[in-house]
Amino acid sequence: MDLGQAITRAARGMREEARLHLVAISSLTIAFFCLGATLVAMTNLDRVAARWGETARMTIFLRDGASPQDVTQLRMALEGVQGVATVAYVSSEDARTQFLTDSAGSTGLAAIPADAFPASLEVTLSEGTEHAARIAERVSSFSIVEDVETYQGWFHQLESLMSAGRGAATGLAVLVMLSVLFVVGSTIRLAVTGRRKEIEVMKLCGASDSFVRGPFIVEGAVQGFVSALLAVAMLLALYLGLHDRVDGVFSALAGVRTSFMPPLFALGVLLLGGVIGAAGSAVSLRRYLTV
Amino acid sequence: MVLFDRGGRSLGGGRDNKGSGNRPFAFFRAGLGRDQAVQNRPILVLEDVFKYHKPDQPTLRGVNLVVERGEFVFITGPSGAGKSTLLDLVYRKQQVDEGRILFSGRDISRLTADSIPYLRRNLGIVFQDFKVIAHWTVFENVAIALEILSMPRRLIRSRVSEALERVGLAGRGEDTTGNLSGGEQQRVAVARAIVTEPALLLADEPTGNLDPHLALDILTLFEEIHATGTTVLFATHDHTLLEERAHRIVYIDDGNVKEARKGLTDWSTMRAAEISASSPGTAAAPRGNVVSLARSR
Repeated sequence: MDLGQAITRAARGMREEARLHLVAISSLTIAFFCLGATLVAMTNLDRVAARWGETARMTIFLRDGASPQDVTQLRMALEGVQGVATVAYVSSEDARTQFLTDSAGSTGLAAIPADAFPASLEVTLSEGTEHAARIAERVSSFSIVEDVETYQGWFHQLESLMSAGRGAATGLAVLVMLSVLFVVGSTIRLAVTGRRKEIEVMKLCGASDSFVRGPFIVEGAVQGFVSALLAVAMLLALYLGLHDRVDGVFSALAGVRTSFMPPLFALGVLLLGGVIGAAGSAVSLRRYLTV
Repeated sequence: MVLFDRGGRSLGGGRDNKGSGNRPFAFFRAGLGRDQAVQNRPILVLEDVFKYHKPDQPTLRGVNLVVERGEFVFITGPSGAGKSTLLDLVYRKQQVDEGRILFSGRDISRLTADSIPYLRRNLGIVFQDFKVIAHWTVFENVAIALEILSMPRRLIRSRVSEALERVGLAGRGEDTTGNLSGGEQQRVAVARAIVTEPALLLADEPTGNLDPHLALDILTLFEEIHATGTTVLFATHDHTLLEERAHRIVYIDDGNVKEARKGLTDWSTMRAAEISASSPGTAAAPRGNVVSLARSR
C-alpha cells in the first residue's frame, strides 16, 4: 500500500463525505471524553493513595489541658517504641495554620477558632502500618490521649475505591473500544456503500485489496485520532477551567492537589483512538472487497 | 504492450520496458520477453471451458477458442448466450468450472485471489455502462489505472494526456466526467483501459448504451487502438457493427461457439456450406444465414 496515495485518496473521501465523518467524530468524541474523564479521576485517586501510602503514620489527639510535661513524657515513651520513626507535636494553633494553608482559596475557613483543632502528636512509622494497631493500643492507656487515628479504615476505603475505580475504568475502556469499533465500522460501511462504484472500478483496473482498503483504514484512523484529540482537549479545557475552584477543597480533604492525566496517558488515548479506528475500518471492509 | 508485476513495474514490451531483472514476482513475464517462441504464443486460449450457473445447464459448454496476438475479434450472439460470461472468465470475475484458460501461456483459472489484480493489470476492460466515476474529473478517472501501478505523478500526467489524445479528449482532463455525453464517457473508459497499454483489451457491449452513430465512432476508436498492436475482444450483439467491419466473428449460442474468420460474408459462406452439407438437396441462400445471425440478436 502506498501510504501517500492512501492519504490523498482518504482526504478526498473525507471531503466528499464530510457530514458523515463529522457525525462519527462527534459520537466518538463523547465516548473518548468519558474514557478520559475516568482516567483523570483515576489519576487523582492514585495520587491520593500515593500521598497517603508514602509514609505510614498515625495521629494521637491529646485532651484539652494536657500539661507539657505529660506530653513530653508521652513523646519520649513513643520515641522508644519499635517501629516509630519520628514524633512531632502539633499544637492547636499549628493545626489551624496547617489547615488554612492546605485549604488555600476557600473563603470563610479563616473564622474557625484554634480551639476547634485539638493538639496532637504526629507519629511517622518506620515499618509501615504493621505496628500501628499495637502502638495505638498502648498509647490509648495514657490519660492525656483522647483518641488515636491510625487511618486504617480510611486506607481500606481508599483501596476499595481505587479498585472499584480501576474496574470502572477498565470496563469503560472496553466499552469505548467497542463503541469506537462500532461507530467507525458503521461510518466506513456507509462510506464504502457510497463509494462502491469506485471500489469496483479500482478492482477491475487491478487494484489489490490493500490499495482499496488503504484510504478507508486511514479514514478510520483519522476519525479515531481526531475524536480522541478533541476529547482530551475538551477535558483539558474543562480541567483548567475548574481546577482553581476544586483544588482547595480537594487538597483540604485528600492532602494533594488535583492533577490532569499524565502526558503519556493522554498520548496513549490518542494512539488508542487511531489504532482502534483503523482496526474498526479494516474489519468492516472485509466483505466489500469481492469484485 | 507493457506487463506489470506485483510492484506495478514494467515486465516487458512497450516503451517502459527496462528488462525484467531478478524481480520477486514476475507473473506474466514468461508470456513475453526476449523469447520469440513465447512471443508467438496465442495471447488467449480457451480449452474445453464449461461454466455452470445452474446445474446441468451450462452457460458455456466445452468452449474452445484461440486468439492470436494482435487480433480483433467480435464475440457475438443473442442476449444470455454467454458473451459476457466468457469475458468475465478472462478477467477472473468468474471462475471456470471445467477446462482452462491460458493468458500468455499462463493458466488463469488456477490463479489465487491475491494474484487476480496482477492479471487485470495486463488487461484493459471496457463496459456497456462505462463504469466511470461521475464526480471525478476525466483525468482522475483515467489516472486511477496508473495510480494502482504506483507510477510517479509526472509519468501519470504525461501518460493520461496521451491516452486522452488518443480517444479524442485532449484538453478535457479537468472536466467533470458526469457532465460529459455518453459517447464521451465511454471514451474516458476506453482511455482508462488503454492507458496502461494492456496486452489484451476486453470490451463488453461497449456500444450498448450509445446511438448507432456514436457506436460506430467507438468501434473505430477500438480499431485504431487495435492498429497499434493491441489484441481486442469486442463483445456485441449489434449486428450493424458486424456488417460494417470484416473482423473475425466468434458466435456464441446456447453456450456453443461457432466462428468465421472474416466478418459476415465469411460467416454466410460458411453457414451455407454447412447447410448444404447437412441437406444436399436444399439450396441455402447465403444472405439468409446473415439474416439468421441478425435475428439472433
